[in-house]
Amino acid sequence: MNPVVEVSHLRKRFRLPLDKSTTLKYRVTHWRSSSRYRDLIALRDVSFDIPQGQFLGITGPNGCGKSTLLKILCRIYKADGGYARVNGEFSAFLELGVGFNPELTARENIFLGGAMLGLTRAQLHDKVDEVFAFAELEEFAEQKLKNFSSGMQVRLAFSVAILAETDLLVMDEVLAVGDASFQEKCFDTFSRYKREGKTIVLVSHDLNSLEEYCDRVLLFNRGEIVADGPAAEVTNAYQRMVADHALASERDQPSELSRGDPSQWGSRAVEFLSVRLIDASGQTTRRFDTGSQVTLDMKLLVHRDVGDFVCGMAIRRADGLLLAGTNTFVDQLTVSSHSPGEMVSVRYTIDSLPLLAGGYIVQVAVHDVSGSDIYDHADPGATFHVNNLGGHGGIVEMRGRWEVEQERDVPTGAVRQTAG
Amino acid sequence: MSVVAQGSGTIDAIQRPKSVFQRNLNLVRELSITSFKLKYTGSALGYVWSLVKPLMLFGIMYLVFSILLRVGKGDTDFPVQLLIAIVAWTFFTEATATAMNAVAGNGDLIRKAYFPRWILVVASTTSALLTFAINTTLVLVVTFALGDLHLTLRSLFVPLFYLELIVLVLGLSLLLSSLFVFFRDLGHIWEILSLVLFYGSGVVFPLMLIKSHTLLDLAGLNPVAQIIQDLRYSLVVSSPLNHSMVSLIGALEVVPIVLSIAVFGLGFLVFNRLTPKFAESL
Repeated sequence: MNPVVEVSHLRKRFRLPLDKSTTLKYRVTHWRSSSRYRDLIALRDVSFDIPQGQFLGITGPNGCGKSTLLKILCRIYKADGGYARVNGEFSAFLELGVGFNPELTARENIFLGGAMLGLTRAQLHDKVDEVFAFAELEEFAEQKLKNFSSGMQVRLAFSVAILAETDLLVMDEVLAVGDASFQEKCFDTFSRYKREGKTIVLVSHDLNSLEEYCDRVLLFNRGEIVADGPAAEVTNAYQRMVADHALASERDQPSELSRGDPSQWGSRAVEFLSVRLIDASGQTTRRFDTGSQVTLDMKLLVHRDVGDFVCGMAIRRADGLLLAGTNTFVDQLTVSSHSPGEMVSVRYTIDSLPLLAGGYIVQVAVHDVSGSDIYDHADPGATFHVNNLGGHGGIVEMRGRWEVEQERDVPTGAVRQTAG
Repeated sequence: MSVVAQGSGTIDAIQRPKSVFQRNLNLVRELSITSFKLKYTGSALGYVWSLVKPLMLFGIMYLVFSILLRVGKGDTDFPVQLLIAIVAWTFFTEATATAMNAVAGNGDLIRKAYFPRWILVVASTTSALLTFAINTTLVLVVTFALGDLHLTLRSLFVPLFYLELIVLVLGLSLLLSSLFVFFRDLGHIWEILSLVLFYGSGVVFPLMLIKSHTLLDLAGLNPVAQIIQDLRYSLVVSSPLNHSMVSLIGALEVVPIVLSIAVFGLGFLVFNRLTPKFAESL
């Protein structure tokens, strides 16, 4: 039997113009200077097949080419060389609710979204009630979509997206949204798809769900497949890769943390201009001592007035283990934008760094209050190093207190310890 | 899992129609109905506006040309001719102006979903066509009822001229919408060109008024002038100022018709050529 997806020697290169010339005026006034480009190779000679019924995961760092691959598979981008062939009908959820119009009612949007999938009005007529029941939105059928919460929109969008019978389902991290109970429903649906022998491609950063659902995972890096095998093996390889990368970039790095890859996701309504780590004396540095003061300094540029938003940070060990994470919302601090073009400076200060010796990754993100719309994030590569002056072992300095009391007349060896 | 138990747990998927043509046609219909609907929701008078605009233009032009400048002097049918021309012109200019943004304004769709890209342009044209069809029907019914139409055998050509107009508009829309993705000042250029066409096509005055033969030939070769002139001639009684295009430019009449088809062909080619670059450029 033919594989459902055949990808053969796929190549894709993006030419990023160094000067934006979308006006005729520019072309006319600069006709002599040849346009300057920076080539970005998104995919170099990628080949693989997906047999029918396989649940395939694709992962890799930002800018590794996985999204480009998906877009070529969905015929949104055209490959420069090689081919990607899908045998059969496919549904692609690169984003839920594509084509929905906020000015229309939920019912009207079902017809519109269904038409985007290739379904006709007559077919959809009989399905409307079922969709609302599944999405748990029966009483909102005649409400305009713009009045829906983002969770409700996602529920409606997902319910419409699964309407079309399909041989192949392609998803790009859509699972990151929706409340827990609805996510459960989504996964039930995927399990059913799997039982019915459908082929599923899931692109995700979430190693846990990859391990849980995928038969096979492809790891991409710099436009190539660097690992291909059972989920557990590949996710391990990914963690090693991240750790190696973090250690490598730790040497001779600039004091400013890297902005991450330019192709990272995020709507950029609010964007990170700079992310720095500052020590007690106000110096930008990436080396700290355990117990010293660390300030994470973030400069944000507001592109679109989004109202209240959330700024968050996380610290990971080089292998990806989350050590600490918090955000302004959790810590009950309100951050708001007032007008586009505004600069917002956000600082997070740790009075006494509890981390012990090692290399650590800082991640930062800005998103909306519900957490569903990520504006921008800066990702791995943003590492710092901690020197440990004391003799503690492990990852964190436990800040405990030893107390020792000794009484003269007690037999030797009976020592009471009290932890603080 | 009480929360999960709410609502039904599954949806039975539907088989898509086998015919891709049917899917595309359905998408065109949904998109054009949506944009037609959205254009008129939220405004108190709704659809009436799309009738008021050409009527206002008609009123002003009638005042200026017929009463102040006495252009249509001796031609009692001049108002009807003006009305038919203005309704057709309004379609031409609004359809092309909207289509300009049909691709560039839908970057989100193009970057995140696959469907044939021409659907966006056809849907935008269809939406303008809906307004045009209603306006034309109204104008024709009213003028017919008032006895201002002069229907003869040559009126049988009217649907063909309307068809030519649609082909021309669709061709220009394909051309403009795809080029606009890469050259954003096309919007301004097209505005100016439209103004030139407006006066070069004799929308508000009889083409006969152009005294210079060279200029008349030049104007007559443009499809918009030919369509409008032929529509008038086929619907309204002939008068000293209302001639068939053939009598004005003779066998050259073939040129604007061929030109309309050529514009469509060019639009089709350019659009197809540029389509693969849309997603990366938006």
